[in-house]
Amino acid sequence: MQDNQQAYDRGITIFSPDGRLYQVEYAREAVKRGTASVGVRTDDGVVLVADRQVRSPLLEADSIEKLHRIDDHIAVASAGHVADARQLVEFARTQAQRHRLRYDEPIDVETLAKEVTDYIQRYTQSGGARPFGVALVIAGIDPDGTPRLFETDPSGTPYEWTATAVGGDHAALMGYLEEHYREDLDLDGGVALALAALGETDDDDALDADSVEVTTVDVESTTVRSLEADEIASHLAELNLEDDHE
Amino acid sequence: MSEFTDPITGADAVGDPTAPELGVPQPDVPQRDAQTADRDDAAVNKTGTTTVGIATDHGVVVATDRRASLGGRFVSNKSVQKVEQIHPTAVMTLVGSVGGAQSFIRSLRAEADLYEVRHGDPMSIHALSTLAGNFARGGPWFAINPIIAGTDETGSHVYSVDPAGGVMADDYTVTGSGMQLAYGTIEGEYDPEMSLDAARNLAVRAVAAASERDTGSGNGVVVATVTDEDVGIETFDETDAALVA
Repeated sequence: MQDNQQAYDRGITIFSPDGRLYQVEYAREAVKRGTASVGVRTDDGVVLVADRQVRSPLLEADSIEKLHRIDDHIAVASAGHVADARQLVEFARTQAQRHRLRYDEPIDVETLAKEVTDYIQRYTQSGGARPFGVALVIAGIDPDGTPRLFETDPSGTPYEWTATAVGGDHAALMGYLEEHYREDLDLDGGVALALAALGETDDDDALDADSVEVTTVDVESTTVRSLEADEIASHLAELNLEDDHE
Repeated sequence: MSEFTDPITGADAVGDPTAPELGVPQPDVPQRDAQTADRDDAAVNKTGTTTVGIATDHGVVVATDRRASLGGRFVSNKSVQKVEQIHPTAVMTLVGSVGGAQSFIRSLRAEADLYEVRHGDPMSIHALSTLAGNFARGGPWFAINPIIAGTDETGSHVYSVDPAGGVMADDYTVTGSGMQLAYGTIEGEYDPEMSLDAARNLAVRAVAAASERDTGSGNGVVVATVTDEDVGIETFDETDAALVA
């Protein structure tokens, strides 16, 4: 009995007697250990905000990359193992370019999200493989101008959201977003909501412009834009988040 | 080959952008060498062909002749349908080797169907033609020169695809051995605002002219009409019968 338990605990391809894949669930734990990333969809575009943990003043803050551009019109945020995220980011970039080569058109966000989750799923069903210990939030504008926001999880399931969070403090962040999300938010309102959610739940120090990354994909330009530190600082000042703890 | 492999099959996880998703020839199948190709060539059915596509503001019309020939000197079939629906609002013509064109049509139809169920919307005609060009350039087909014609959200489109993968959009286009005769009929007569009936008559007259003088074309006409709603295909033993008043 003991041996059997260990077998399905260790084996990625083996179900437990109650139908669970423990390795996938452990991968979700790895996601929870990561710092949070938040995505908010508005009619004007989609916002991604990532909490960046700068563990030493000697570390170059910009070298902690949690937001990645996939194509002109799509960006992703990650939570969990950064190295795993980078593999999925490269896979997504390659798929986006493959779509352009094959059809001479930009890929739509849902198709990209499903290409990525299908790839993640293969790593839950093959012996010797380890699942991806990362969750992605995929934000983009479809070729027809519709803003879209998806989440991928380590099982390889895609979800679409109006607003969502992955990583640490997940329950608190979702609670905040569920309470404060409004359908009539504009893009700046989306940035404010995402920052406010992180500010509300961040238990250690106050948010400052160096400890968060903000990226938007707006409907008008359909391009990915990373906000500069001073832009982030002015958003934070407006929210009175920066000074709260000082 | 990308750097990403499928952990179960070991195959490329991204996929060749120029290859069909299904029905790729197995690499262990021996390719035909030059000598065999020469010997077989006389037995390969060619369409010879005149295929015409005309785009108007109201939809597109495609007209094709119905003759297949061997070496351009023997009529091997008098009732070939050389235009097929491959998409909810697009058709493609068979030009070149009949086997190559038929296989090409089956593959493109499967790709268009897969795209539509995966994306929820049908492919744009530009995407469809780009894919066809990729297949013609990198795929297992040879000696095909089709027209892809259809409608989408951005209007009516006619594309020609050449055997090296060249993809060109135009208001009207002709491919096949009777192309010079057909173009002569259309030049000066085309008007983008012409009615669908007028475009149909022009396309039919172009095929009729080619059928008179090109030995690879003849035996009546098939007319395909694509509006933004659907595709209609009609067959006529005599070209005159296809003209509308």
